[in-house]
Amino acid sequence: MVDDGTTAVPTTVKKFYEAGRRRLSLTLVAGESGLDRQIREPAINRPGLALAGFYRYFPAKRIQLVGHAESAYILSLPEDVRRSRIAKLFETRVPCVVYCRRRQPDADVRALAEKYSVPLLRTQMITGPFANAATILMDELTAPRVRVHATMMEVAGMGILIEGVPGIGKSETALGLIKRGYALVADDCTELRRSGDGSLVASAVPLTRFFMEMRGLGIIHVPSIFGAASVRGEKQVDLVVTLKRQADCADEIDRTGENVQYRTFLGVDIPQVVVPVAPGRDLVNFVETVAQEFCLRRSGQIAHVELDERIKRRNVQLVAAKR
Amino acid sequence: MADEVQEMEMTLLNKYGMHVRPAGLFAKIASRHSSAITVIKDGNSVSGKSIMALLTLEAVCGSVLKVRAEGPDAEAALQDLAALVERKFDLPDEQ
Repeated sequence: MVDDGTTAVPTTVKKFYEAGRRRLSLTLVAGESGLDRQIREPAINRPGLALAGFYRYFPAKRIQLVGHAESAYILSLPEDVRRSRIAKLFETRVPCVVYCRRRQPDADVRALAEKYSVPLLRTQMITGPFANAATILMDELTAPRVRVHATMMEVAGMGILIEGVPGIGKSETALGLIKRGYALVADDCTELRRSGDGSLVASAVPLTRFFMEMRGLGIIHVPSIFGAASVRGEKQVDLVVTLKRQADCADEIDRTGENVQYRTFLGVDIPQVVVPVAPGRDLVNFVETVAQEFCLRRSGQIAHVELDERIKRRNVQLVAAKR
Repeated sequence: MADEVQEMEMTLLNKYGMHVRPAGLFAKIASRHSSAITVIKDGNSVSGKSIMALLTLEAVCGSVLKVRAEGPDAEAALQDLAALVERKFDLPDEQ
């Protein structure tokens, strides 16, 4: 199987529980011994059919959610049937079971959770919103990730990933953009993750978040100097700006804007602009303009195409007039 | 002359591992060489010339780093870096 960075990465019940404790108001009721169980699929399943005895196509690798309907159904069953149906669910070794709407799972269920080492969790949230929020959390936890040597910024509403060899001026460019009022996401080491909807989201490595190295000055903490609005937790990557020494660029520079190149990360193609770096060249103004131009292109207005149409129309008229 | 790629494993021996001062010294020495330096740990690979990037490796005392150098002075770069790590970055309270 080709690893192009697009397949979901398994996570554990422990990670889901720790991330969801506050976000999803989760508590652990039983089955602590199973916290290291892997969750291989990010979707959430409501096991109504399984509880009714139908196990074909049962997604046993997913988190199982017991909500209002499931609870009511279980209670409607005669006691011996109830026990065997629930036991069967735990027997299939699902990663974990979550009870919603503050329903307290009874002693039988807790015992089964302990027996099969399947963590039993409880949430204060209502089933519907819980399923949505848990799916989003699982998408984040299982997203393929990679760290790249680049600085990530938000400029003119666009997510810009600035790449280049060490010392070429990524951090200095970022500083100039911060002073213009734009926001830093990560300096020098950016973590990219592929989101469930196929977009690429950039964030900083938590340990060094919002710290930046300025050669000559040293390490600075950006929000302390420039304020809370000078940084941002994460941002979708819209454009890659690759800084290259003038000498290394020769053929690659796009003179008209026609040949949009792409960089691919985790299977996602992102438009790329290669920028020549030379003394006297103002990178900050340039990157800002690049962001603004791509913002405009998104809304359909493409400068080189418009100019080209205008010239072609005029040239045709001139030739016709001469006749 | 073709760029050679050389690799060497280095184990951090100093008490606090790859914190700011060692990262600064490592990056400084790496930057003196023209070869591209990459440091790999736990599947993450970062530029050895970047302090911030080195810190993200979260390397502690005992961590094994794989250091790769690519360029004309690859061997010299690795020797210098290995020596620095072996000397525990010359930090007095971490010897």
